[in-house]
Amino acid sequence: MSDELDMRDKAAWDAAEKVADYEHGWSSDIETDFAPKGLTEDTVRFISAKKNEPEWMLEWRLKAFALWKTMTPPDWAKLNVPPIDYQDAYYYAEPKAKPKLGSLDEVDPEILRIYEKLGIPIAEQEVLAGVEGARRVAVDAVFDSVSVATTFRAELERAGVIFRSISEAIKEYPELVKKWLGKIVPMHDNYFATLNCAVFSDGTFVYIPEGVRCPMELSTYFRINAENTGQFERTLIIADKGSYVSYLEGCTAPMRDENQLHAAVVELVVLDDAEIKYSTVQNWYPGDAEGKGGIYNFVTKRALCQGQNSKVSWTQVETGSAVTWKYPSCVLNGENSVGEFYSVAVTNNYQQADTGTKMIHNGRGSRSTIVSKGISAGNSNNTYRGLVRVAPNAEGVRNFTQCDSLLLGSLSGAHTVPYIEVRNPSAQIEHEATTSKISDDQMFYAMARGLNAEEAVALIVNGFAKEVLQQLPMEFAVEAQKLLGISLEGSVG
Amino acid sequence: MNRSAPTRHDEAWRYSDISAVEAAWPLAAPESIIVPAGGNFARTILQDTGSIHQLDIAVGKGATTAIHVLNIGGDYGRVELNVTLHEGADFKLGAVQIGGGTQNLEIITTVTHAEPKATSSQIVRSVLAGTATGTYLGKVAVARDAQLTDSVQSVKAMLLDRSATANAKPELEIYADDVKCAHGCAIGELDAMGLFYLQARGIAPADAKKLMLQAFVAGVFEGAADEDILIEAALKKLGELV
Amino acid sequence: MLQITNLHANVGDKPILKGLTLSLNAGEIHAIMGPNGAGKSTLGYVLSGRPGYEVTEGSVTFNGNDLLALEPHERAAAGLFLGFQYPVEIPGVSNVQFLREALNAQRKNRSEAPLSGAEFLKVAREQAGALGMDMDMLKRPVNVGFSGGEKKRNEMVQMGIINPALAILDETDSGLDIDALRTVGDGINRIMRKPDKAVLLITHYQRLLDYVKPDFVHVLADGRITRTGGAELALELERDGYKELAA
Repeated sequence: MSDELDMRDKAAWDAAEKVADYEHGWSSDIETDFAPKGLTEDTVRFISAKKNEPEWMLEWRLKAFALWKTMTPPDWAKLNVPPIDYQDAYYYAEPKAKPKLGSLDEVDPEILRIYEKLGIPIAEQEVLAGVEGARRVAVDAVFDSVSVATTFRAELERAGVIFRSISEAIKEYPELVKKWLGKIVPMHDNYFATLNCAVFSDGTFVYIPEGVRCPMELSTYFRINAENTGQFERTLIIADKGSYVSYLEGCTAPMRDENQLHAAVVELVVLDDAEIKYSTVQNWYPGDAEGKGGIYNFVTKRALCQGQNSKVSWTQVETGSAVTWKYPSCVLNGENSVGEFYSVAVTNNYQQADTGTKMIHNGRGSRSTIVSKGISAGNSNNTYRGLVRVAPNAEGVRNFTQCDSLLLGSLSGAHTVPYIEVRNPSAQIEHEATTSKISDDQMFYAMARGLNAEEAVALIVNGFAKEVLQQLPMEFAVEAQKLLGISLEGSVG
Repeated sequence: MNRSAPTRHDEAWRYSDISAVEAAWPLAAPESIIVPAGGNFARTILQDTGSIHQLDIAVGKGATTAIHVLNIGGDYGRVELNVTLHEGADFKLGAVQIGGGTQNLEIITTVTHAEPKATSSQIVRSVLAGTATGTYLGKVAVARDAQLTDSVQSVKAMLLDRSATANAKPELEIYADDVKCAHGCAIGELDAMGLFYLQARGIAPADAKKLMLQAFVAGVFEGAADEDILIEAALKKLGELV
Repeated sequence: MLQITNLHANVGDKPILKGLTLSLNAGEIHAIMGPNGAGKSTLGYVLSGRPGYEVTEGSVTFNGNDLLALEPHERAAAGLFLGFQYPVEIPGVSNVQFLREALNAQRKNRSEAPLSGAEFLKVAREQAGALGMDMDMLKRPVNVGFSGGEKKRNEMVQMGIINPALAILDETDSGLDIDALRTVGDGINRIMRKPDKAVLLITHYQRLLDYVKPDFVHVLADGRITRTGGAELALELERDGYKELAA
């Protein structure tokens, strides 16, 4: 307990004192190669050629592009998004000084400085600051459209773990990629996923072989740096039988007046007795206090729990982006497979979030847990949208869902849209939802103990979100606590 | 109003028997009920023929409304309530649907707390057998400034057979911060320990099941003017399914 | 009356009873004592037919008939009563309704005429009165909102109304204060200490045995009866603990 408090004192309070609106809002002058602005078949060919992709990959992209042109954006979310001009953006931006992956020495020092500034341990010897005995973390750093570094490759390879940018994996492990790419999130899944299939630029590929417990945490840090640029990364993680990996994902982008599009696809495959723990701290630029600028974050994340006793745990802390549209889901095919979704979503100012999960129970004895904590402040809107579905043949399914909303101020909105569809009598499904505000008594009590209003809010919000935050790996938990405080700055009068 | 019949893309009809809806289209305008300030209104809806009931109810300042629904009849039965609550108004719903065979039964409620201090309480119980589908779409909307709203919703469904379907969407849309909204939804089978307890006291399995199901639905009609009629009809329907 | 021979039973895949043999005659009160996890509650559940408790070997006869071939409700009708360690709450079903249905289901099974509402209420009032239970409690849903002590007392009221030939009482003394313990003990003696009835008391502590004097005490350890004696064995157990005796 006291350790936790110490950490909060040291890190979160320091951070809460800072006046910064968005800590990562600077951009850097990096010489960048762009694809021609706009989106045509040629753009798709350009990206594929830039990456020296095999023919099958190009064909796959072109098929997706043709399909995408026939589709329309989804309109069911509680989001108010102006029409996006898909021709007014760059779909590929790459730092000019091309790094040779795997050798940190050759990465543009300016880029290394950026990651350093972001506090991301891109150098292998570095241990996260301020945390005693921190575990080492291998990093894939994706800068605009390309992966600029993946660390600890040699050590991971000794364990048999493949940790690559997806561009490399397509060339080096085509069979593995072909086997699973687009199998969890099909090409036609939704408008943004299809777009991603056509123009995805880079991302991370992980394969954990049978029986291997990945010796360190793996992570990807995404940074959108260039102007007018969309980021379309693609992540594929395969956990073979009896393996385990904990994967972390973080994202930042500079402050820009225009909106930038981020449309990622993440696919996870988990075989018998394997487990993936996937943690995200999403801190894309949320726009300014008037709602200008910010990232449009349309992300499709899905896990296929294919094997018996397989398990996927999604934990997300969503504080950034002007618009978030994201439903990390689990298709629980395996007998006794387990899906978990722990989410904290904070919206402030004019941010809009529509996020949640789907738990599709096809396997006998599959179980899922959903814990969603939504915090709405300012003029923002925050929606939990979820689906729990039980197939007729899935005996003995269990689901527990808890959705709590916290409203700060009377101008925001908090919404809960759970869908429950059950077709097997032995299922036990429970859903609970509550809505509350921070009581005056709580505020007074905290302030009587010497906290100012913002500190008091940060403290109470952290308590509200605790069930989710404690799912995060420790390094991330500290960052997430800081973020909650920072994201809510200016939300109390 | 919609000219053409809805499709499954229309949120309020996503689980409906669309061909039955089309056959019934166009629907008569919803019955409109205005409960004046300080007034009290109660209504029992026994849907036992396979029909679509639509009610728009505006509950005036300090007024109360209690609706009891038993949705059991026909291939497709739908009861749709659109309730607007003004300051300090109170709305209570006690609803039961019991379906078997290939029945598609649904209860759709939208309760809008338009002004402060209104209270609402909704209890919905479904029992489904065969390949029947039972749906409850329940939205509670709290308007900006509808402070001190107090809303509870309790949704439970029991499936008696594999391939019977229970759908539920207990939805909240909240634009005011000083509110108390608690929603609970549970779908499952009869408590195995309870069934064993009844059997250990000598009650045969089918009777034990019936007794538990009676208990599951009976309390919902407490206080209804037609309580006895509703309970009798519900038990008769349950008797057909078990 | 009850003959248990070499009984083996599993809960899930786990063997709990491992060759238990025990015989009860009419007019006898037996106590089964033993450490936690020995299989005491499992024995009660197996005898009353709880789903998930699977007999893998051995036999049980009740008045000469194969008990294990019967459904739970048929065992009840045959005269077997299980007093639950944790009586189950059944919201929405009143005690009165529950007991009348139970009693008449058993009577029907024995080809006896059902009791009318008035006849039933008379019996219920007598039994509730004897156990100091308010009639209002009989109208409330089964065990819902009852304290631990009230639930146990309610089990005894049920036993009085149903009037079984054999009662298996699983930790009926747990959760009772000293006054309630005496009331429950008196109830057991009054209802069950008769030449044509028998009782199997499953208990961890000997304090109930101060009120209900057993004719035999058995030690159950690791799924078997390891020792049998008279009432004095209970005091010995209380003094020395189970460890030495189980060995």
